Amino acid sequence: MSIDDRQLKELIVESQDLQADALRDTRKSLPDLRDIGRARRGRPVDQDKVRAFNADRRALIRRGGLGLGGVAAAGLLGTSFGGAIASIVAKPASAQEDVDVQILQTAVSLELLAIATYGAALGLPFIADGNATVKTFAETTMMQHDEHQMAFNAQAEALGGERQTETNPKYTPVVEEMKPSLTDPAKVVELAATLEQVATQTYVNNIAMFEDTRSKEIMASVMGVEAQHLATLRAVGALLAGGAPQLITVDPPVDVAALPAAAGSVAFPEPFEGTENASPPEEGAVS
Amino acid sequence: MSERFQQQSDENESLLARLAGGRLSRRNLLIGSGAASLALVAAACGDDDDEPASSGSSTTERETTSTTEAEGNAAGDLAVAQTAAGLEVLAVGTYGAALEAAQSGALGEVPPAVAEYVTTAQAHHQAHLDAWNGVITGAGEAEVTEPPADLKATVDEQFAGVTDVAGAAELALLLEQTAADTYLAVIPTLEGTDAIKLASTIQPIDMQHAAVLRYVLGQYPVPNVFANTDNAYSG
Repeated sequence: MSIDDRQLKELIVESQDLQADALRDTRKSLPDLRDIGRARRGRPVDQDKVRAFNADRRALIRRGGLGLGGVAAAGLLGTSFGGAIASIVAKPASAQEDVDVQILQTAVSLELLAIATYGAALGLPFIADGNATVKTFAETTMMQHDEHQMAFNAQAEALGGERQTETNPKYTPVVEEMKPSLTDPAKVVELAATLEQVATQTYVNNIAMFEDTRSKEIMASVMGVEAQHLATLRAVGALLAGGAPQLITVDPPVDVAALPAAAGSVAFPEPFEGTENASPPEEGAVS
Repeated sequence: MSERFQQQSDENESLLARLAGGRLSRRNLLIGSGAASLALVAAACGDDDDEPASSGSSTTERETTSTTEAEGNAAGDLAVAQTAAGLEVLAVGTYGAALEAAQSGALGEVPPAVAEYVTTAQAHHQAHLDAWNGVITGAGEAEVTEPPADLKATVDEQFAGVTDVAGAAELALLLEQTAADTYLAVIPTLEGTDAIKLASTIQPIDMQHAAVLRYVLGQYPVPNVFANTDNAYSG
């Protein structure tokens, strides 16, 4: 292979220009990236800084100077410098990837806690040998949460993160503390509803922080299912509190005419799902 | 019964307060967030996460590019808002028609829980419609007052054949599933953070409506492990 000295010199000059541009344009973003990096483990993440950094990154890519297109157009993709630049700009900032992974790991931690809680509930005689629909719901919901944690963990790994294998550190002690007081179905339903609400609100809140689209899709597809668990538990809890456990049935179908009027609204007390009990991205992250 | 429900609600609030470590109550926060979300989302249509850097040699070019992209993003979000508002108009109208039919006796005996559901769901969809129209008018466009014509024609045709509560519930389930699936489909495509948040606070409620309707129809309320977009409306 012959080397065209003139073309090579032109490429080196272009490379130097690109590097100068890159250094100047990324100077503003780097402090933010360092701040975000420091915030990765166990500290709240400043989402405004993450968004600002990625906005800067996208602005650079748009201008072409640091984008893959710009590097390729300059004939630098095969060079070590071009390769290095390509590796930087081909994917979102690692800090944002970390936030995405944290959100997913926190979601897994909540799913694992839900699985453990439903599992514990199914070990209680008044659930295991109690209302058949409640038992089926606990078994089915536990399985659904297991599917959710697998999906979230797989996505965390796809983004280069570690699998989360532990239950949520904030709520696990609360659940453990409450276990001795779970002496009837209503108390179990109340606890489960609380965990489902935390999960739902966490996903509602954190989904907007994702940079990764696939992660958004997965969390959105889980969010509504947790909301349905919550609605079902609210209705079941109300029927238990109302002294009508016989109306908690799907097979045979419920006698709709016998349901109290409040059964038509108790499952969704507000027109918008809240976020006040949402777990922050880093709460259940692998440390 | 209502006292017992209230007691249950109070106990839930108490437990939530414990779990949340003494944060503000759900009710207080929701009262505050309703108006705030309208303002925030309206701002989001003119907002952009991709603000150009304020220094550098090609500021003008970057501003032009960024402005174009921001306009594109805002236009995309606005189109979604208009579609969502149209679906909400359809839901409000259909529940209204169901209430009229129930009051006229056209649906036979209507159980109190069903009447309560229809009233509640209609109010929720009206709140959703108001929120989306807040976004739309905030972006300088006219509010949406008409449903999608093709969907309305389908719903009208099916509604004409409804003669009882079960039939009305089936139609309502189709509407709720269409709305929930549509929100699920658009959430990953929205650009504005606050638009994503608004859609994300609505989709779970529509899913909950669907769960209760399934229960009323004798079906398992949470049939799917993951929500899907099978019934999403694309306009």
